[in-house]
Amino acid sequence: MLNHELLIAILLLSPVVGFLLNGLRFRSKNYMLAGSIATAAVVVSFVCSVLLFLQLLDADAEHRRLAVSFFEWIAVDKFKINAGFVVDQISVIMILIITGVGSLIHLFSIGYMHHDKGVTKYFAYLNLFIFNMLILVLGDSLLTMFVGWEGVGLCSYLLIGFWFTDSAKAAAGMKAFVTNRIGDAAFIIGMFVLFVTFGTLNMHELNALAPTVLDSSWMGAVTIGTMLLFIGATGKSAQIPLYVWLPDAMAGPTPVSALIHAATMVTAGVYMIVRLDPIFIMAPNTMMVIAIVGASTAVLAATIGLTQFDIKKVLAYSTVSQLGYMFLAVGVGAFGAGMFHLMTHAFFKALMFLGSGSVIHGMHEEQDIRKMGGLKKYMPITHFTFLLGWLAIIGMPPFAGFFSKDEILWQAFSSPRGHWLLWLAGVLGAVLTAFYMTRLMALTFWGKSRIDKSVHPHESGLSMTIPLMVLALLSVIGGWIGIPHVIGSALGNIPNMWEHWLEPLITKIPAVAGEGVEHGDSSLEIILMVVSVVLAGLSAISAYVMYTKKEGSSAKVAKAFGPAYELVNKKYLVDEAYFAGIINPLVNLSRNLWYYIDVNFIDKATFKIADVANGGGSFVKALQNGNMQQYAMYIGVGVVVVLSFVLMR
Amino acid sequence: MPETNLITDIGLNHYLVLSVVLFSLGMAGVLLRRNLIVLLMCIELMLNAVNISFVAFSKFNGKIDGQVMVFFVMTIAAAEAAVGLALAVSIFKRFKEVNIRFFEHLKG
Amino acid sequence: MSSDAFLFWFLALVTVVSGLSVVLMTNPIYSALSLAMTMIGVSALFVTLNAYFLAGVQLIVYAGAVMVLFVMVLMLFDLKHELQAFTRGRITGAIKIASVGILSGLIVGAVTMGLKTATTLTESASAANAAVALKTNPDTTRALAENLFIKNIFGFEALGVLLLVIAVGTVALSRSKGGSHARD
Repeated sequence: MLNHELLIAILLLSPVVGFLLNGLRFRSKNYMLAGSIATAAVVVSFVCSVLLFLQLLDADAEHRRLAVSFFEWIAVDKFKINAGFVVDQISVIMILIITGVGSLIHLFSIGYMHHDKGVTKYFAYLNLFIFNMLILVLGDSLLTMFVGWEGVGLCSYLLIGFWFTDSAKAAAGMKAFVTNRIGDAAFIIGMFVLFVTFGTLNMHELNALAPTVLDSSWMGAVTIGTMLLFIGATGKSAQIPLYVWLPDAMAGPTPVSALIHAATMVTAGVYMIVRLDPIFIMAPNTMMVIAIVGASTAVLAATIGLTQFDIKKVLAYSTVSQLGYMFLAVGVGAFGAGMFHLMTHAFFKALMFLGSGSVIHGMHEEQDIRKMGGLKKYMPITHFTFLLGWLAIIGMPPFAGFFSKDEILWQAFSSPRGHWLLWLAGVLGAVLTAFYMTRLMALTFWGKSRIDKSVHPHESGLSMTIPLMVLALLSVIGGWIGIPHVIGSALGNIPNMWEHWLEPLITKIPAVAGEGVEHGDSSLEIILMVVSVVLAGLSAISAYVMYTKKEGSSAKVAKAFGPAYELVNKKYLVDEAYFAGIINPLVNLSRNLWYYIDVNFIDKATFKIADVANGGGSFVKALQNGNMQQYAMYIGVGVVVVLSFVLMR
Repeated sequence: MPETNLITDIGLNHYLVLSVVLFSLGMAGVLLRRNLIVLLMCIELMLNAVNISFVAFSKFNGKIDGQVMVFFVMTIAAAEAAVGLALAVSIFKRFKEVNIRFFEHLKG
Repeated sequence: MSSDAFLFWFLALVTVVSGLSVVLMTNPIYSALSLAMTMIGVSALFVTLNAYFLAGVQLIVYAGAVMVLFVMVLMLFDLKHELQAFTRGRITGAIKIASVGILSGLIVGAVTMGLKTATTLTESASAANAAVALKTNPDTTRALAENLFIKNIFGFEALGVLLLVIAVGTVALSRSKGGSHARD
């Protein structure tokens, strides 16, 4: 078996090679060649990931950590950063998702992007993204992680604004970039705080040092540092208050939405928190904020999702909502559950985005679900796979989403850091999710056709349907590795492989007596599970009835809610509020500064200085009149002056 | 030494003063005349004035190096005169003009 | 008044008067002839200073070659009596004359003020070198040659190269039509 250092090197460099091969010939329009190179590069990485995973499986549970340090990157006094990478139980899951789902999406892109002029550039960006994402998840210190963090932000910006000739799409890219900047600034400051507090940025050392926090008075610093890191995570992972960029990010090509804005990049914030779980546990206030933000994002985004008519926007808000679940999970200390939902979400959300891409492709760039309907007939494969994804996301057993979402809800209820209100918010989110996803299914695939007569929908080609099928399979079985104890024991001692696998790395919340619910309370767990599933099912059925059987009823409901519906439809006017509250004042302030300070003061001052120099120049210029005898006279006068100075002394 | 007679006892200073007077004449010519050729002549005058002081120093210090320097100066002066005149000729051929005020192309 | 003193004063008068006429003559050809007179006077001054070889060289190089060159160039130009021999600017003219006057006044003042030291220097030098000076006086040419060809041989050779360069450059310049930018 290859040694792990070489494997990690190949894993990281393969996308770089793909990026360079495509990036250096970016004018080419040969989509087959570009797509093959890019897909092959990611598949190589995927193979490496699988081999690394197998190596980890071979090792003892205690020694499942393959670390490698390629070179010393920064060394300033005590501040030492290596270009070091770590494959352990957590990061191996991430690299499997990134390269696995990534290669499927690359394959899908070949079909989806084949008519595009910039297809080679597109694949180059995709590979660059994979590389940066791998650095993000494998980096052994916060700073190396931050390199990838910024790198994926860049690629996200490039790919959202991929069709930059459309100014709205370019603006969407800019919005994503700027919004992420806010989070990134907080992330950097958070790193400073942690470095000052612990004297290291290496995550392994940070986690080892974290338990010492209790004995000292560093608690405030840790809370501030983790809070700042979490603000960084809200930027990257689209949580309140920085979620506004993600719906706009749907301006990019659909596979990009699937890869970056659903499966991988946006989960980076969750991953970061899970990596640093011992430190976050030391900051209960931060954890509480994370849980509340996660829960409210889950509900808020789901309500907005109810009213959207753009197929990708619905999925985007769904993604924000699901990310909220992940933060809810890590916020209550259920780091394993958060990672679990991250993985299942990557499967079914990538599937749904690719499915929507297939629909958009088949509908000739139509994204409005009001102009769809009855597509089941034209796109059987897309419909079927989408159906599986739908069942997964609304949490129907035994699909993947059920296990992860249920685990989160149970933890939100039972964890020492949990609360029944958080559970309620989670259930509300699940109900809303079931409703709007069913609405999406109904408006798109079921019911009567509202398709324009000039459009002839068609099923997509194999390169697009194969990824759909693979992801659909994963969406079905992906949850089975994390079957909860209550169900597992009932079905005959099926172990919770997921929990077992992550156990050495996931820190348990220290149980506080008198708080939370005993984990062994299996009857309560089952009751809660049934409640959430039944509620979600009812919600889905009502949506089905509303949007397929009784057409027009939805309009009535909308009318009944009146202003509330309008408010939700306009996304709670959050963008407008940001504009009115932050952006416009800032722009006005800048404009006033420019006009009153820059133009009237600084510019004038510099012009005055220039005038002085100019005047002096024109005065001295008169001396330079071309008359050589005058020059000789200057010499003579100079000699006289110097000589008299010397002699009179 | 008894009081030196300024008229009869010719010393180093007499030669130096003569040298200064000649040098000043040459300098005045360089500053005031307009004819390019006359300008060159005045420069020769200045050089000669310097030569006088060199030779005088050489004699009154009893060292031959002053005369060697005069030798060098003469060579340079001859070379300078040759180049200067060649330039004057070539300028005259082009512009039909030797007035120094005509050549004010270095105006700032 | 000794013959030495008489000779000096006479030659000083000749050189200063002819030098003055170089500057003041409006016709360039008179200036040139006055300059030749100055050269001859300077050459005679060299004789009074025991620099016989230099006096000869002065005559040949300056009064002979250089002055002939000047005169020939003047004849080539065929210059008439100049209307504007001197610069016109009053202020600049005043400054020029003043600076020349102050300069010469400064130097003369410095020389005469330093009379004492100069005399003592001369005395000590003559006292120390009296024998040498007397011995070498008749034979300054030989001493000059020894100094030139032994001590300053490198400078001498460099001068030779310089003269060659000057010769070539002069030919090139006079053959051109007045500046490299005017090849029409």
